[in-house]
Parts: sequence; structure tokens; C-alpha cells
Amino acid sequence: MQTPAYLPPGSASPYVDPHRAFMRRCVFFGTALVIDIAAVLWLADLLWLSGFQKAHFPLLAVFAVLNGLLVLGSLHAVFGAYDMLRKRKTVSISRLADGVSGPLERRHAVVMPVYNEDSARFCARLEAIYRSIDAQGHLASFDFFILSDTRDLDLWVMEETAWTNLCRRLGGFGRIYYRRRRTNENRKAGNIGDFVRTWGGGYEAMLVLDADSLMDGADIVRMARVMEAHPRLGILQTPPKLIRGSSVFTRLQQFAMRLYGPLFIRGLNFWQLGSGSYWGHNALIRLRPFSESCELPALPGSEPFGGRILSHDFVEAALMVSQGWEVWLAWDVEGTYEEAPPTLADHLARDRRWCQGNLQHLWLIFARKLPFPTRMHLFMGIMAYLSSPLWFIFLLLGTWIAYDRYSSKLSTLPFENYAWRWFGIGGITQSAMLVIVVLALLFLPKLLALARALGSRAVRRSFGGAVPVTLGVLAESLLSMLLAPCIMAAHSVMVGSIVLGRAVGWSAQTRDADGTSWSDALRIHAFPTLLGTGWAVLAWRVSPEFAAWMSPILIGLVLSVPISVWTSRARYGQALASFGLLSTPEELDPSDVMKLATTAKAAIDPVLDATGIARSGVIAAVVDPYVNGVHVSLLEPAESSPDDDALAERCLVEGPSSLSKDEISRLLYLAPAMLMMHRAVWLRPADAIHPVWARAVESYRRPAAPAEAA
Amino acid sequence: MGAPAHSLESLRPLGDEELTEWEEAYAAVESYLQALRIRNRLLVAELVRAILWRAFERRKSKPETPARLLAMEEALSVVAEWTQDVLDVPLENRRLAARGRLALLLAGMPDQWQGIFLTPAPWPRDFVEAMRRSYLEAGPRFAELTMVPKPLELNAIGSGAAQWWETMERKPIVRIMSSAALLLLLALAGWYLFLG
Repeated sequence: MQTPAYLPPGSASPYVDPHRAFMRRCVFFGTALVIDIAAVLWLADLLWLSGFQKAHFPLLAVFAVLNGLLVLGSLHAVFGAYDMLRKRKTVSISRLADGVSGPLERRHAVVMPVYNEDSARFCARLEAIYRSIDAQGHLASFDFFILSDTRDLDLWVMEETAWTNLCRRLGGFGRIYYRRRRTNENRKAGNIGDFVRTWGGGYEAMLVLDADSLMDGADIVRMARVMEAHPRLGILQTPPKLIRGSSVFTRLQQFAMRLYGPLFIRGLNFWQLGSGSYWGHNALIRLRPFSESCELPALPGSEPFGGRILSHDFVEAALMVSQGWEVWLAWDVEGTYEEAPPTLADHLARDRRWCQGNLQHLWLIFARKLPFPTRMHLFMGIMAYLSSPLWFIFLLLGTWIAYDRYSSKLSTLPFENYAWRWFGIGGITQSAMLVIVVLALLFLPKLLALARALGSRAVRRSFGGAVPVTLGVLAESLLSMLLAPCIMAAHSVMVGSIVLGRAVGWSAQTRDADGTSWSDALRIHAFPTLLGTGWAVLAWRVSPEFAAWMSPILIGLVLSVPISVWTSRARYGQALASFGLLSTPEELDPSDVMKLATTAKAAIDPVLDATGIARSGVIAAVVDPYVNGVHVSLLEPAESSPDDDALAERCLVEGPSSLSKDEISRLLYLAPAMLMMHRAVWLRPADAIHPVWARAVESYRRPAAPAEAA
Repeated sequence: MGAPAHSLESLRPLGDEELTEWEEAYAAVESYLQALRIRNRLLVAELVRAILWRAFERRKSKPETPARLLAMEEALSVVAEWTQDVLDVPLENRRLAARGRLALLLAGMPDQWQGIFLTPAPWPRDFVEAMRRSYLEAGPRFAELTMVPKPLELNAIGSGAAQWWETMERKPIVRIMSSAALLLLLALAGWYLFLG
């Protein structure tokens, strides 16, 4: 392992001996390889039994890949469980902070990139984090940055007022900062990069958050101590827990991640050690190596496969590791949270971006100097999406072979195969064994997690008891089986559209929604519904037995519309919650920082408010004396030209709706224009300005007394 | 409360048009004070009355100018001049009017200091200090780091693929031929495996 660039050789040895890490990886991936090869040979032997044909070759090849991924997933849980049993022998980078107290030696930044988000909500989370660090007595070591890439002009003004209120209430001026980029080049990676270039030199590390992130102050301080204690550490990633899910879909996700997640996380830590990955948020990043190594290169060609890298996080970790820095997963950091998309439709919309980003990583598989664990991270990220079309192809091949056999009327007399010759196992037993192994691989992580919950009093009680957690696993398994075919079809379409060259835009993520409408669900899931219906007819024609074999897939496809709608409803989620089903420890007993985030209201103040009914956003920035004062004070000095004055006049007379977004944006950046418009809307009579301004001015009038109004 | 400069005895009869015009001016000034979140009715009434009297005096020399315009000019200028006096900075350009309003907000005027709003000096020391240290700092002092992208170093397979990929993007004919060859290959494979 090489020594990072600016560390003197030998000044800090790796946290784990490289030889030990090598052995762990050999054991993990060797086991996966052996199991996969055994399963593929077993299937080949089974196919030989019924008469081998050419179509079996692609079937076996696809099975090898899919089964390999299944084995890898399952082994994460198995090794995770093994790691949990070892208790103190397990590797934990966070232990470097054990017993360390006193003030932090370096300064750190907490950065929250936002893009068209609800400012009251993200400010509430930031307030909770701020108060939580303050409660630890380490506020002096941290600065906070809201890094806005917001394009919606109304939301921009609301962000300014929310930030000002936050600072006013928390006394956060000079500690909480707000910066909005004029152009959001290179999206989130560019936003973070802009921060690093501008202010990065003032801090040892930055804690990168998402707009829906929440972290406990004690854990943040602990992470900063680990960063200070281990000079080779480049990135310290935490495993965020999903919280605040109200729909069935999000409750399902957060229950699964909360119950099964720890096993996978520990299994991941077992082999990746200091060559971990970065998941884009809830992670502490050392700034100097980040600035030296992580400016993303452009990929060959243009989007969707080339150009700017969309999923920057994996690549940034890869670049760090390739330069000799360690990237660790702090699996034992508990106070780290995020929110999930509320519906299947929103989940798929986010997956469309991630899918394109991950497929771009195909180039990096062929990059020089990347160590094996990093390539494995990239490979697994790619396969998270490519596995869907492969599964689809596997099912198609299976259907074709069944149909071919049915239509050819060939003899079904078995050939002699190795299973019979060596072990005396007949065809039915052999296929049953294969099915059992595949099902075991599928359900083993769930069973291990359930066993852990039932076996540990603390875990069991945190999920509400033995009955709710068992019923939760059953419900989650059933619903996941129904959702999986729909997601497979959607991912297959995504991959197909990307292969055909359709790039994705950058839309804001939906954080909360009142469910998916039937019309939207029909539009989004038309393909899986039609596919499932046609496939069901074909399968029935082949044979009722084959249709029965395929039914778990076909039912999910045919019912994708009602499943999507039903799982999106918050009221059904609340009904499940009232029975204690799919509940998580965070829901049953929220942590202090979660309670803080729920009650945090510092960003909301009627004195400075850009969300009024007749005067929100841009209107408030012109009309309201305080919102105008805040907005203008944050602008760079600029002179307005006669054209700008004419534009401002048009905005006053014809209203902001008569201007394009670029024109309004131009005015919002011009302090003289904003001041002139503020004066004008107050000085001119109502009939000399557009009604939208007149209504905004009128909205400040004290309501007339009832008698007067009558 | 201010001095009773204008007693009831000094009132004169007003015509309907005059009443409407000054009613509109009153409403505008009152709205602006409401926008500044001056909530106390007595205070608002006093301030509106004082501002309207100033506008009324100006009207004598500008009879053609609408009362509302005069009143609002007075309202805006009186606030700007007063904040300038408190901040003790010259009102060089209009931007300082925004600075003054911001200072009022950050000093907590809407909640704490309404009673001294627009009153002559001296003002409470705490208030003056709060006003003068009120400014927005969107970011700390620059502490720059450089981020220079390093070109992606691909191995032999990756370099070959990148070259082919970029050639396809540059030359549509190569892209069409490659796509056709791929489709043909897939069709042949399908025919061989399933139909052949």
C-alpha cells in the first residue's frame, strides 16, 4: 500500500495490516466463487438430465452472474453475522476515538448541499445538528455551510430568509453560512468542489450531508476525533438509517434497512476495511487529499455513458484509495439518518439518475491503479442495475426453453447425469435442492437478521417485540416479492433507454408526497403491466405448471399499478404503524437529535417571511422591506444598465409572469434594480403597477374591524 | 407619545376628494409600517400621523403631486434617514436603505425596540450597538484549495474502448455500422441458439 502524497513515509501505518486484509478478501470472495461455481455446475448437470440444448449456454452464463450476485449479497449477511459473534475482535475504526476527550485540535465544516428543497425542513435538520454539537460543547470547532444550487427563484429567496432566521435565532452569524451558486456546473460534485476551492483550506475535514440528512452531535465529534487520530484516513462513511417514512413503501424500506442493514454493513466492513466506499453524504472527508485527488475527470465521449460523472461518490472514494488514503465505514456510528423517497414512483425516478451514474462507472473498471476492493465496489454498483435486465433475460430464456420443449413434443426421458451417477440423486430431488439453495440464499439474510432480533432482548424490544418483528419480516418479504418484478422491469427499461443514448436531467428529489395517483401509476407502470399480462397468457399456454412456477414474477408484474398506488398511501402506512407493523427503533423511540429536528423552528419567523400567501419568494424579495433588505445585502455590488432599468419597469407594470426565468434571475442579481422596484411598489398607486404587486402591498394592511368590513 | 402639535381646534373641513386621497395615503403608510412589523396600534397611529403631517406640509408646495406618493416618499426617507443616523454611516446610495432595514431586523427591532422607532437621539446603547454590528456574512474569509482534474488513466482495454467510443461519436457512419454489426451479431446468435 502506498503512502499518501503529503504524509512522510512511515508516519502513519495502515489501520489494518495489508496482509490480514488480503486474507479476508480471499476468504470472502473465494467462498462466493466456490458456491457460485458449484451452483452453476449443479444447474448444468440438471439441464443435461433433460437433454442439453444450445439455448442452455446463455441461460447458464446469465445464471452464473445472477447467482454470483445473490451469493455475494447473502455472504455479506453471513460474514456480518460471523463478525457480530466475534464482538471485540471485530474491526472498528471508530475505536480510535475511545477514551479521547478534550477539545478538538482542528476545525471542521458541516456542509449541506441543497437543490430546490423545502428550506424550513432542511434548516430544521441543520438546527438540530447545530444544537446537538453545541450540547457536546464543541461548537467552536465547527462551521456550517448551506451550499445552494437551487434554480427555483422563489425557493432561493425562501432559503435566504430561512438561513437569516436560523442565524438570528441560534446566534449563528459567523458560524452558519449560506452560499448560492450562480450556475450549478457539475451538479452536486461541482457544488462541493466549489466549497472546497473557496473555503476548504480553512478546515481539516468536511462533514458532507444531504438535504434530508440528520446526524447526532456526539457522533460527529467522535468522527472528527477519529479523523484527527488517524492521519491516513481520507473518508469516514457512516451507514445512515432511514427515518420519517409514512407511506407503506418507505416504512417497508426503513424496516428492511434497519433490521437487515447491520448484517450487510458488518459483512461489507469485513472485507473492504480501509478500501471502503463513499455514499455521497453522512460522511466526514479530509479536505486536503480530497482537493488533491478528487476533482472528477471527464469520461470518454458524451452522456449518458461519458462526459461528466453523475455518481461522483464512488469515484471520489476510488480516487482517494488509489492515492493511498484509507476510506472506512464507521459501522458503529448510530446517530446517522436520512429519508427515503416516499413512493415507488419516486424511488424509480431517483433510480433513473443513479442507474445512469453507475453505468458510467463501466469506464472506471478499466482504470489503472485501482485496487481490487475499489473495482469490486464499482462492479457491484453497476450490477445493482444491470442485474435487472439480466434477470429479465434469464426469465425470457427460461420461458423460451419451456415453450420450445412444449412445442417440440420431444421425449422427456432423462439422460444419465453426474448427480445420479455419483450421488444417486434423481432429477426431481436435484431440482428441488437447487431451488432450496437459491431460496436459502435469497432469504438467509432475512432469517439471520430475524434470529438476531429474536435472540437479543435489546434488539427485539427496540422493534416492538418478537411478534411485531416476525410479522414485519413476513410482511416485508411478501411485499418485496410483489415489488421486485416491477422494479426489475423498470430497471430494464432504464438500462435500455441509457444504452439507446437517452441522458437524464437533474430534478429535485421528492421528500414527501401524498401518494401516487392512479393515472400516474398507470403511466409509469404500463410496461410491466402489459408485459406481465402477455407473459401470463404465454406461460399458461405452455403449461399450467409452468405458469405456477412463474406466478411469483407474473403476479408482481400484472399488479404493479395497484401495488404502486397502495404502497404509496400514507394512511395505510399509518394503519400499519398503529398495529406496530414495520416499525423501527427510531420510530418507537426517537433519538434526541430526531426530537430536536421535529421541534426545530428557528428558520420560521413571521417577522422575516418569504412564504406569505400574496407575497412569497420573488414577490416578497421586492415588496417586503426586510426580505428585500436581506436579499440585497447578500448580492455582489453591481450597476444596472438602461436595459436592466427597462426590464425592471416591465416587471413592475406587466408583472413577473411576463418575464422569462432568466430575466427575473437577472433582476434578482441586481441590487439597484431590486431597490428601485421596492421603492416603486410602495410609491406608486395600485393602478400604476401590476396587480400582483398591488395585492402584495395590500396584504400588509391590518384587517378591518368586523363592523367596518360589514 | 409625541407632543400634541395639532390640536382638534386646528382641524379644518376636508372635501370628499381630499378625504379619499389622504385615506389612501394613510393606508399606504400604515401598510408600510405593518410591513416593518410595527404592531402597536398607538405607535403606528402616531407615526402615520407624523409622516402624513410632513407630507401635508410638502403638498403645499407640490399641489399636483398625489398625497399617497408624498406620504410614501416621506415614510421611506424618514426610515432611511433615521437608520442612517443610528448606524452613523452616510447614505451614499440606495443600497444603504437596504442595509438600514437589515440592521433593524437583525437588531431585533420588530420584537424589542419598537418604542424608540423613529425617535430622535439619544437611543439606548444596546440598541445602537446591535444595529451597528448587524450585517450578513454569507461566508468566512476565503481559504482556497486547488482542485485540478487528473485525466483518467485507462488500461489497454479501456483505452481501446474509449478510442472506439469517441470515434463512434465523431463519425455517425461508424456508429451506424457498429450498431448494425452488433444487431446482426445478436440476431445470428439468437438464430443459432434458438432456431438453428
